[in-house]
Amino acid sequence: MIRKKILLLGDFNVGKTSLIRRYVDNTFDDKYLTTIGVKISKKRVSFHDLECELLIWDVEGATAMKSISHTYMKGASGAIFVCDVTRKETITNLDEHIKTFLTLNPNANYVIAYNKSDLLTIQQREALDISGNTFLTSAKNATNVDTLFITLAKEILL
Amino acid sequence: MKNIQLILNAILSKNIFEYILVDRDLSVIDASAGIEKYLDKSPQKGEDVLEYLPELVGNEEEVKKIFVKRYCLYTLESVYKNDYYVNISIEYCDQNMAIVLLHNITAVTMAKQNLLQYSNESTLLYNTLQKVVDSQNALLFVTDAEKILFANKKFIDYFQASDMEGIRRKKLDLYRQFNARLENYHELFERVNDREEHIKIGEDTFIIQATLIESTHKLFTLTKITKLSNAVQLDPLTGVCRKKYFDLKLDELLKAKVNFTLVVVDIDDFKAINDTYGHTVGDVVLKEFSSLLKKSIRQNDLIARWGGEEFLLALKMDDLDKAMDRIEVLRKTIAEHVFKTVGQVTASFGVAWRNQCECDDAGSLLQRADKALYKAKSAGKNKVVLKKIEKRGKNCVV
Repeated sequence: MIRKKILLLGDFNVGKTSLIRRYVDNTFDDKYLTTIGVKISKKRVSFHDLECELLIWDVEGATAMKSISHTYMKGASGAIFVCDVTRKETITNLDEHIKTFLTLNPNANYVIAYNKSDLLTIQQREALDISGNTFLTSAKNATNVDTLFITLAKEILL
Repeated sequence: MKNIQLILNAILSKNIFEYILVDRDLSVIDASAGIEKYLDKSPQKGEDVLEYLPELVGNEEEVKKIFVKRYCLYTLESVYKNDYYVNISIEYCDQNMAIVLLHNITAVTMAKQNLLQYSNESTLLYNTLQKVVDSQNALLFVTDAEKILFANKKFIDYFQASDMEGIRRKKLDLYRQFNARLENYHELFERVNDREEHIKIGEDTFIIQATLIESTHKLFTLTKITKLSNAVQLDPLTGVCRKKYFDLKLDELLKAKVNFTLVVVDIDDFKAINDTYGHTVGDVVLKEFSSLLKKSIRQNDLIARWGGEEFLLALKMDDLDKAMDRIEVLRKTIAEHVFKTVGQVTASFGVAWRNQCECDDAGSLLQRADKALYKAKSAGKNKVVLKKIEKRGKNCVV
């Protein structure tokens, strides 16, 4: 079976672990427990006759003092860049994360998750300019979580 | 091979390292007995090591280079596996075998995680607090005795700095702006603590307020009250507003349809004070008098010096009777106060009530209050007199 390494990258406390838990186990916990190092989860996906095991790397979030280890990024087929839609600085920092990742993996695919959308009002959600490979997600209410992962997987495989 | 096994056994006996031996195709040759705690089951000879260590997926080619270069090329730190944290590294053994070492770092990583959790939560709290202070319209800054330690964005922008480092480099010494004789921020704090003072910075005037955070740290708030074009809006003797600024604020109150009373206050027999004690003492009385007025009104009321010994007040109150009671208290406060040098001084109060009548503009209000003041003086001084608006048909007559 094909195995593909994908990473979730972004600042700390944007909901990377929660997105993976929602996608892999369909669970959610409001409590913030910071990730240290890396934890790998597996999820099988199939498109037509193509079956693939996604190896989803939940990587420790970046802080002002510590950026994401390049070792974790090497050899990835794709990445999901996650920001907290309520914290502007996490959106601003996305560009830097994407740039670093693509330098190490120039042929990789990626999608972007504007996470914690459940905290926005309808008007705030509508005011956001979300299109292309960017998704307004919520690990809490599962909005667009499957779509996010499946879109990336298709980009990588098809 | 035998030597390696001996060395490994010695290391493994301390339960810190576990290993998997792999061949050039990354198939399992052997594994230590304790490896199972990280992997659920023991790898069997001939199995693909990637089944057990998916961490290596995507880096297979890099791992295989070890058989050519003969040194470690690939290490992964702090990998979570079955409730343990391990460092994974690959070492060259011989041309047909490499060893994948799993170094148990659970204890130290858990300690690190606690620290990271605390650090991240603190950062989140700090960022939130930063946003709160940056959202304030006032200029906020925190000092120790000598220097500014923290400032909000409004403050940094006002002084045209890019960050706190820029503010520090400017050495603003704002206490000197307030009074050239002040030596540091502690002295500024002592001057402005528990009261509202004005400070002029460049061409702008601010209300400065101080709050004690700790004995060593003070929070100062600067609220801008003037714009560049209205350079001198404070009466230099008494420190209260000048009539021009008061007029602007009066117009704002009228436009906002706020209920208030306009009061013209005149010190009784002030000419006699000047004639008897001289103008220097007269000035001291004016300062003391304005200070009494300031202390007796609320923060959102207005006070101005009209000129000479006349002052203006705008007291925001919905109820006329309550407003009259407050003015009467004010009259008594002044009458009972013992002024330096001159002793007791009284004042007369002319009052106009701002109602919803359309013709009630600033001019007519002032006219009514002034007429009321004249009546108070005529009636023997030290009195409060209200001049009500008269209605004749649809018209208002002052």
